[in-house]
Amino acid sequence: MPSAPNSGPAIRVDAVSKRYGRTLALDGVSFEVRDNEAFALLGPNGAGKTTLLHILCTILRPDSGVAQIGGFDVVKQPLAARSRLGIVFQEPSLDDRLTVHENLNLHGLVFGVPRKLRRQRIEEMLTLVELTEWADKTVRTLSSGMKRRLEIARALVHDSEIMLLDEPTVGLDAQTRDRIWSYIRRLQAERGITVLITTHYIGEVEACDHVCVIDYGKVLADGSPAELKQQYGQQLLRIVPKTETDHAEIAAQYAQRLSKVSATEIVLTSDDAFSEEFLTENGARIRALSIEVPSLESVFLTLTGREIRDKAAGGREQTLAFGKIGGEHTR
Amino acid sequence: MVQLGGLYGLWLREVKRSIRDRGQLIGGVSRPILWVLILGIGLNPYFRSEVYGEVTFVVPFTYLQFIFPAVIALNILFTSVQSAVSLIWDREFGFLREVLVSPLWRGTILLGKVLGGATVAVLHGCLVLLLAKFCDVSLTVPKVLETLGLMALLAFALTSLGVVIANHIRSFQGFGIFSNAVILPLYFTSSSIFPLDPALSREQTRVVYPEWLVSLVEWNPLTYAVDALRGALIGYNQFSPGLGVLVMGIACVVLFAIALYEFRRV
Repeated sequence: MPSAPNSGPAIRVDAVSKRYGRTLALDGVSFEVRDNEAFALLGPNGAGKTTLLHILCTILRPDSGVAQIGGFDVVKQPLAARSRLGIVFQEPSLDDRLTVHENLNLHGLVFGVPRKLRRQRIEEMLTLVELTEWADKTVRTLSSGMKRRLEIARALVHDSEIMLLDEPTVGLDAQTRDRIWSYIRRLQAERGITVLITTHYIGEVEACDHVCVIDYGKVLADGSPAELKQQYGQQLLRIVPKTETDHAEIAAQYAQRLSKVSATEIVLTSDDAFSEEFLTENGARIRALSIEVPSLESVFLTLTGREIRDKAAGGREQTLAFGKIGGEHTR
Repeated sequence: MVQLGGLYGLWLREVKRSIRDRGQLIGGVSRPILWVLILGIGLNPYFRSEVYGEVTFVVPFTYLQFIFPAVIALNILFTSVQSAVSLIWDREFGFLREVLVSPLWRGTILLGKVLGGATVAVLHGCLVLLLAKFCDVSLTVPKVLETLGLMALLAFALTSLGVVIANHIRSFQGFGIFSNAVILPLYFTSSSIFPLDPALSREQTRVVYPEWLVSLVEWNPLTYAVDALRGALIGYNQFSPGLGVLVMGIACVVLFAIALYEFRRV
């Protein structure tokens, strides 16, 4: 196995584009993930997160641009790139007719982990994700949270240096989500693993070192959670004026700060000083007022808009739905 | 070395999961019983003609003997295509996705899948052999070995065929369509359940049977596989004895090559 050509960033994505028919799924996406970092890719459904991850794990080829894993180009040296990756897909990709141990062992075989190391790693990882007692149960008897934990264990049976997790906490209860994050942190500390995670749970992102917000295939923002809040977070003043005249006057007076106006409500962009000033001046003219401090959630909504992304189910989703109701000979 | 270990792992996985699939196993057992015991015994008396009170068989075998090798082919056909079709799910969501991002070559992955599927199919073919006694087919060791070899060739070719089909399918909502659109047509036109009378010349055959049916049967590669199995088990060949092995060998190579070519782009 060739060694890494340089000790650059763990993941480098440079101007990667991907087109499906007429939709541009990725439009010149660039970012870097440093070694031993927890990097979150945040975006609404259909933003291009999964497409990007599939390019990184060499399932898809980018139309243009360069993506590197540990210095290896995913198009030119896919095998070298893949052997450094541990991947947890969005949908569980365990064989649920095999037992927990068989799944891990098969993964070890497929990734060429020598027998002795394989046995040791499997034991370690089962302990890490607390599934040791379940080793001989078939996967179909596991709950979805346990399956997720098993998949994380599996991604670490070989010498993975970089972990890609595609929405690993979707549909899991708070306890399991919390536990999964604690595993990830331990791995970062103990094995020095770099983690790239996609999610749309904004709360989870706060704990990451770096956040990259993407939507419609473009990088909208890139920085630490604190930086993002500072840069894009906008304090908002939500005002309910007493009368219609007050409404009209306030709207006219602060026209340049106007963010949104409805029949009863006015929303002004604000900061601490302005909120103070506004209250002293207009305290008598308003019925209710609330100050919205920036959260990552509001940053996210500012960047990506508020509308819901509806999309018809494609062949893939239909197959998935069929499998979920217990379609024959599949799972 | 990694490739070999991976190949073994994938093969083992395929075999293990099939053995644990109770639905598939029930199909593998009940199908031959239905065909042999119900259809075979039911049609047995009609498989002969009486001329002036003298009973003559169309071919010098009972219908049960005649249909027995074909039922082996049928069982292999079902199981092969079934395990290949699971590739659709596997590719999009299941385990295969995991393997596609491993350091294994695409060729290794496909070979593991096809070998595993073929192994299971041969096992299901062997289930039919257990019924030999009821069909008055005597089994000897060389006969069984020859049959096993033919079954392996057939199973490999058919699993590859299944993969070729699966490669083209993006949305999967059930196995029924494969059974109706691929398996049964192939089976029925393979001279499996009725013979093209060997006593007749080509011209005469085309008089007795409609032209299109004769052509279909002659064009269907499975015809030659069934014929080879008959040769091995009851010593009856409609075509020259080596032809079946040749056709199956070519089918194995060609179908696997097509499957691999398309699978590399997955």
